[in-house]
Amino acid sequence: MRLAEIERGDSFRNRLLIRFISFVSGMRLPDAARVAFYHKEFFSASLSAWTQAAMRGPSPWSVGERELMAAMVAKWNSCPFCVGAHGAVAAKSLQRPLIDAVLADFRSAPISSALKGTLALLETMTLRPSALSAGDTQEALRSGATIDGLRDAAAVATVFNIITRYANALDFAMPSAAEFDRAANMLLKRGYAS
Amino acid sequence: MSNRSDHQSFAEALKRRVLEGRGETETTLRERVAARAAGGPPLEPPYDDLAHHIGEAAYRVTDAQVTSVVAATGSEKAAFELIAAAATGAGLLRWQQAMRALKDLDDAPR
Repeated sequence: MRLAEIERGDSFRNRLLIRFISFVSGMRLPDAARVAFYHKEFFSASLSAWTQAAMRGPSPWSVGERELMAAMVAKWNSCPFCVGAHGAVAAKSLQRPLIDAVLADFRSAPISSALKGTLALLETMTLRPSALSAGDTQEALRSGATIDGLRDAAAVATVFNIITRYANALDFAMPSAAEFDRAANMLLKRGYAS
Repeated sequence: MSNRSDHQSFAEALKRRVLEGRGETETTLRERVAARAAGGPPLEPPYDDLAHHIGEAAYRVTDAQVTSVVAATGSEKAAFELIAAAATGAGLLRWQQAMRALKDLDDAPR
């Protein structure tokens, strides 16, 4: 973590909260949660509201599929923290071997044609946004995705194109696999609302 | 009345808050940092390096880039605002491109 104020908390209340949650959970509070507490009225309040809607709101995509999309955006943006965090949540409903197969090569992984077509769209959106065209969306629709599904997937990709960037810029500390697994249970239970 | 999420409203609210709302940094600087991270024109040092890297390859951001922006702005909170602005600019560029591609479907040959 490159900013010490985020590491320790920016108010007496937040410092206590960080220590309390770390003590109760038996692990260091992940940096993603520390950022959510920091300068909250400026950033995390509005970003958390959108993230909660994108990841847990009504959608043709399951929670597991959306968490998998988040992990893929993290992979394309070289953000190991978010690959670990959201791969772990996705693995709770889609199983670990499938998540690993998609992360290795989504085009050959045993997932639905609609999800594969949507991930191809999200890959272009993430890595070559200026090249994104109606042709890409047509291709995704031909794979079986719907307009509503593509819009929801684009929202997931947008919030994680934001989150992965500040996670990398701030150099989030990497939890262990076991800690990611415990944090995943919390994300499934509590969601992203701040 | 649909119960679907209104992602466009969330995108606009995020832009208003992070780029146009009150903070420790000037809104004009936040807007320029966001534009730079979305491929816009270069900024003066030390902001350019950080904003450009966050937009293009945030995993290459260095301790020195962040430390320089903390020194230039005078606080970690101000530096955080600029990091948030850059990330938001890069993300919202992608949202706009995706929505344009979906809208263009109406005009594209089927």
